[in-house]
Amino acid sequence: MWLPAIFLIIGISLGLLTDFTVPDQYSQYLSIAVLAALDTLFGGIRAHLDQTFDQKIFLSGFFFNIGLAVLLAFLGVKLGIDLYLAAVFAFGVRLFQNIAIIRRHLFQKRKSKK
Amino acid sequence: MKLRGRHVIMSLVLFVFGFLVAYSYQYTKQHAQVVQMSEQEWEKDFFYRQQLIQLEEKNRELQDRVDSYRKDINHLEKEFGNEKEKIREYVEQKKKLQMITGELPIQGSGVKISLKDADYIPSEENANQYMVHDRHVQLVINELYSAGAKAIAINGERIFKNSFINCVGPVITIDGNHYPAPFVIEAIGDIQTLRTSLELTNGVVDILVNENIEVKMENIDRVQMDAKIS
Repeated sequence: MWLPAIFLIIGISLGLLTDFTVPDQYSQYLSIAVLAALDTLFGGIRAHLDQTFDQKIFLSGFFFNIGLAVLLAFLGVKLGIDLYLAAVFAFGVRLFQNIAIIRRHLFQKRKSKK
Repeated sequence: MKLRGRHVIMSLVLFVFGFLVAYSYQYTKQHAQVVQMSEQEWEKDFFYRQQLIQLEEKNRELQDRVDSYRKDINHLEKEFGNEKEKIREYVEQKKKLQMITGELPIQGSGVKISLKDADYIPSEENANQYMVHDRHVQLVINELYSAGAKAIAINGERIFKNSFINCVGPVITIDGNHYPAPFVIEAIGDIQTLRTSLELTNGVVDILVNENIEVKMENIDRVQMDAKIS
């Protein structure tokens, strides 16, 4: 149980300590990657609560989503269209949905406990 | 085993997630300096920028002026240098002239002429005709001057432009000082010229010899003549 927390802390500290800078035009990719990671994370939690959690799907989804989001942003930049908005939109909607489902699950759990 | 695997995956995902979040946070902290300025600040900024531009303009102008002044100074310095050169030349010339007029001591090579009364005077002749007179001395001196002598001295007494030579009995008076025979006339100048001009046929030496005066002439390497005491 402690292992994920430790790794989270390590990741955060590593992120804070790294010194290399990304050129300004790539900052979009970063934000979208963060969004994708967040989405996948909450998706995983939801799947866990639904008891449909699959490691492979979770892991592949995590990296694939990040990659797809970055690709979309890249395409958007190249084509001059704000394509990354699609990713932001999709991930945002999914994020809210997942959080809503998680909330519902938590309420149900509390109810069933009572 | 399954639980462990799940934990490992969670760790990995959280690691990447944490890294991304922290990195983007740090990144935006570094770069998110989008300067929000109010109208007032804009105006202030504009004002200061205007001032800066004005100052730079002024600076440039002043720099130009400094440059031109530098050029002037350079010019003046060059002129001063030239003037110095000129002054040096003038001083040199003045020194030379002073030497010639006798305000400064002079030294150099020249010739020495001794005029002596004749040793043997036939008894039936007038002794006056066998003696050195002032006109002889003056003759020699005039010849020397016209031959380009720089300075002349008689028996060590330097002749100046206002010197006078008198014949008083057996002695000659130069500027009031008496000198007996023989008279040694020293002249500073070009030896060759002086000698040649004195030894011309029917020249000064011939005349003197004709007038029964013993003339002896020799070159001198170095003679010093003092300045006029005034």
